[in-house]
Amino acid sequence: MILELQGISKRFGGLVALKDISLNLDEGQILGLIGPNGAGKTTLLNVISGSLRPDNGYIRYQGKEISKLSSDRRCQKGISRTFQISRPFSKMTVLENVMVAAIFGDRSQKQEPPRDRALSALRFVQFSIDENTLAENLNTVQLKRLDLARALASNPSLLLLDEIAAGLTPLELADLVGVIRHTRERGVTIIVVEHLMRMILRLCDKIVVLHYGEKIAEGTPEEICQDKRVADAYLGENYLL
Amino acid sequence: MSTGGSHRWVVLSPLSLFLLAVLSVLPLWVQDEYLLQLLISSLLLGSQAMAFDFTAGFINVINFGFSAFVGAGAYTSALLVLHWGISPWLGPLGGAVASAALGFFSGVLTLRLQGIYAAVMTWFVGLTLLSLTASLSGLTRGYRGLNVPLFLETAARRPYFYIIFGVTFLTFVSLRWTGSSRVGLAFRAIGQNLESARASGVNPTKYRVINFTLSCAFAGLLGGFYAHFLGILTPDVMHSRQTVEVLALAYIGGRGSLWGGLVAAFIFVPLFEYLKPLMELRLVIYGVLLILVMIWCPGGLAAIYTQLKQQVRWPFMQR
Amino acid sequence: MLGPTALWDLFVTGIFRGGMYALMAVGLSLVFGVMNIPHFAHGEFYMLGAYTAYFAFAVFHFPAFMAILSAASMGLLAGVLVEKLVFYPLRRRHPEEWVLNTFLVTVGLSFVMQNAALAVWGGQYRGITQYWQGAIQLGSGMHISLDRAISFIVAIFCIAVLWWFLDFTRTGKAIRAVAQDETGALLVGIDLDQIHTITFGLSSLMAAIAGASLLSLNPAYPSVGLAPLYKSWYVVVLVGLGNMAGAIPGGFLVGLLETFSYYAFGSGWQDVISLSILILILLLKPAGLFGNRGISLSKA
Repeated sequence: MILELQGISKRFGGLVALKDISLNLDEGQILGLIGPNGAGKTTLLNVISGSLRPDNGYIRYQGKEISKLSSDRRCQKGISRTFQISRPFSKMTVLENVMVAAIFGDRSQKQEPPRDRALSALRFVQFSIDENTLAENLNTVQLKRLDLARALASNPSLLLLDEIAAGLTPLELADLVGVIRHTRERGVTIIVVEHLMRMILRLCDKIVVLHYGEKIAEGTPEEICQDKRVADAYLGENYLL
Repeated sequence: MSTGGSHRWVVLSPLSLFLLAVLSVLPLWVQDEYLLQLLISSLLLGSQAMAFDFTAGFINVINFGFSAFVGAGAYTSALLVLHWGISPWLGPLGGAVASAALGFFSGVLTLRLQGIYAAVMTWFVGLTLLSLTASLSGLTRGYRGLNVPLFLETAARRPYFYIIFGVTFLTFVSLRWTGSSRVGLAFRAIGQNLESARASGVNPTKYRVINFTLSCAFAGLLGGFYAHFLGILTPDVMHSRQTVEVLALAYIGGRGSLWGGLVAAFIFVPLFEYLKPLMELRLVIYGVLLILVMIWCPGGLAAIYTQLKQQVRWPFMQR
Repeated sequence: MLGPTALWDLFVTGIFRGGMYALMAVGLSLVFGVMNIPHFAHGEFYMLGAYTAYFAFAVFHFPAFMAILSAASMGLLAGVLVEKLVFYPLRRRHPEEWVLNTFLVTVGLSFVMQNAALAVWGGQYRGITQYWQGAIQLGSGMHISLDRAISFIVAIFCIAVLWWFLDFTRTGKAIRAVAQDETGALLVGIDLDQIHTITFGLSSLMAAIAGASLLSLNPAYPSVGLAPLYKSWYVVVLVGLGNMAGAIPGGFLVGLLETFSYYAFGSGWQDVISLSILILILLLKPAGLFGNRGISLSKA
């Protein structure tokens, strides 16, 4: 078991963002994390990646308790994440953006120089722009791809993807699903936060549904489709099931 | 600026090498002592601007107590020479160590705070250092002034030019080299987007402290050279207005460029000298220029240079 | 140990100073909270108030209250002018990197104002002995000079009026709205430009009143603003930026701390002690003494 969350709670002032969340994840699994807007999905990712400290509960990663670790240490231990709103290093080139993660996030003693590892990551995500372009000149879709390359360059064992499919054409979406599958084949465990149900249902082994900070359902895609509580939570939302 | 491994030792562009070469042989033709003095003053301020820019331009923290670290190095060097008989040539190293230590400790304590708070805390540190230096007048002679042994017996300016030029060159090359190294990449990452840097495995506080300590080390070194060049020290060298002058030069020159501050110094120091009446209003003009640069041209001279370079390239490319 | 009279005098001075620091710290907090500007020219508006009050009282022989009032008006005018001429264009042209850029702009502004004052009025100290004669007796050997007492009341009055203004008037509430959420305020139709101008004007007005009221203690000279600037920033960082309410007790605390430690340790070490205390508090409680907004790099 690569990840174990037990009783995770987080509140912001009067708002309860997460309430008593527990889940387990085995190596090599792809977990889908879904729920209406404001359900707490990104907050949960933030807790796992280390950007936020939970008020209660513990997190075990590869058997070890990591709640006290900062997010840079977690990155070095193999937890990588992408951001819902991309935040690149604007004044640095695409290559430099990825090299930061390759140099500082990858603690395994690799022989390959960071420059080559960064280029491989860019190729892996099928990044088509010249690597000497400044990040501030990229559009949103390119930035998301860059974000993915950066997350992969630190050689993660656990990858957290936050709405990485937003704004993609069907062709780009198919490419992305392919990239995610390839990543899993390399042995990386993945948590995917998404609104696109079709993608989640095709890609994920297991799905967890959040609603107002609570876990209301967990199971295989088939089980989730048939779960009444999930349908109720999404009432009024227009999703393709 | 790439961080490719193979060409990292070529840190200076052909243009900067050329300009530095010109600068280094200039004194051989210049006879006027006054002009040489101007060049030395430009070098002193310009090198400080570079050390300041190393922090402001890379990790995006304004060391508002910068001149206090320069002054700490100056006083340390002076006192080492006066009371411990160390040669003035080695004194500045002591100054560098002292300022680095001060920088390290204040950095560790205050650089864990966000941007503006870190700047305010460095300002407080600077004010405290100034206050302390003035109070310890038994040791430092406070505002009465401390007489400092000079480097050389001669009053001629030319040898001093080469001394200061040497340390400026050293500062420039060292900072440039560090800036284009892996550590420099970490600096720029935390300066541009702290959260993403964290997510890429960079520990912000650690690299902020490294950067700050290095910058203060050079500040102390330059302070030491300043002391044995000028011959007299008062706590005024540590005052915020000195930091503002350095800051103005760094920003007008172009934040993050390193060389911008040096070029700006060579423009403004002689300018203010030749327009004597303007000397009084020097700080007002720096203030106004700073405001104008921030409103109309935040990238400073370096940005203008980059734009010119692109303009010049385009006509060639279209042929 | 200090006798009761000496202790009382220190206490009164501390409270008196503290009131002014509170006034200035509130203004600083306001500018940072509403306009997101780290204001480093705050001391220069103090200086402006001090000079205005000096000329009004000592040269033109206005009555004391009129002198303070003229200082206040001068502060308000200068604040509004600066906002319109400097911050408004900056906001229009370069909204990015706002905090850093405005910080530098205020630094530049501070230098322009200080050196302009030096050029126009010269460096000599312009002080007065007191606005009002006489003292209030409070039992054996303890008295407060009328001058200090009234100036103190002026400060408290200003803070109270500001409080009422922010809590009960439409404009005041609009200011608080902008401080909380600028976008939200914009969406409900609040005129941001107007709010910014009023806020900066108010802050400058209060700094000027502080400068005018403290004239008997701190004469007017071009760089008289440095110490109040330092103190108000100290208060604001100590209590937590964004905490205007905390700036008031914070101001008094700092006034007392400063007065007593200056007496005990002298100026150089007093600064070391103040700084050490601040660092210690920030290490233990990164949001400041009363603050709730995290200012450390790691957001917990």
